[in-house]
Amino acid sequence: MLSAAAALPLAAAGCQGLRVLGTPPRPLPDVTVLRAAMDSETLLIAQYTAVLAAQPGLAGLLDPLLGQHRAHLDRLRARLIVPPGAATPSPSPRPHVQAPPGPTAAQAFLQQAEAGAAQALTGRLAAASPSLAQLLASIAAAEASHALLLSPRRGAR
Amino acid sequence: MTASPAPGAAARRVRAATIHALQTALAAEHTAVYGYAVAGAHLTGSRQQAATRGWIAHQQARDALTAMVAALGAQPVPASATYQLPFGVRGPQSAVALLALLEDGLATTYLGVVALSSDRLRLFGARGVQTAALRATGWRGSTPAFPGLQPAGG
Repeated sequence: MLSAAAALPLAAAGCQGLRVLGTPPRPLPDVTVLRAAMDSETLLIAQYTAVLAAQPGLAGLLDPLLGQHRAHLDRLRARLIVPPGAATPSPSPRPHVQAPPGPTAAQAFLQQAEAGAAQALTGRLAAASPSLAQLLASIAAAEASHALLLSPRRGAR
Repeated sequence: MTASPAPGAAARRVRAATIHALQTALAAEHTAVYGYAVAGAHLTGSRQQAATRGWIAHQQARDALTAMVAALGAQPVPASATYQLPFGVRGPQSAVALLALLEDGLATTYLGVVALSSDRLRLFGARGVQTAALRATGWRGSTPAFPGLQPAGG
């Protein structure tokens, strides 16, 4: 299974050459997983941006975390290799986010968003190639850590 | 690519990769059990309590991995009597730094389990990465963008 998975890109690349004159190749499984993970990061970035616009006092806490989501998105995008000829779905619309009023509610809103994103990424591991699964697991761990840093009891230690 | 190997050879490779990844995680858990005991002795109050909880949790993880390796018919790597720590622990500051560093290492070794093909082991590995990242964040008060991965590449 591991060797089969490792051989997949090679086999797909070989097929691609043969299929250039035929039907366009379907996106590799990783492309689907990558797009879902990128959509999730894009949503988180929009959520942080909305909260920061409404609650500038949270910038000290939120700016470093937002920067890490931008790094996640960059790293995911760098892996997105769409086979030539494959149908490219139109980019997801920019998500519109309304930040809840008040810093406490806004922070709790982001904490929940981080925890949800970590769980969703973990659920996509099975569909990913080994190296993408590692990247997703690492990003999910960062998001779970963000949720910890956003928890109201932080600093009590 | 050469001709497809016999199914038996592929299964053996998967088993060897699984054992290797689990043994690596087990060795890291042995190190963590040792490191938490060393560091915990330099901590007080709530940080000492957190270190004790971590010490117990790492013993449980060690036992779980020992059972998993044994279930695959391999000899689980034993604990060493002592470990070479990356730096000497002289007080609470270096104790906390050591614990954060140990958890960083665990995140990396559990990422090795995530690369396996079994869905169940991937999930187990991902939980290990997450637990290590959370503990590292608890000790350090911050997280890297990519726990367990090198800053560039990956």
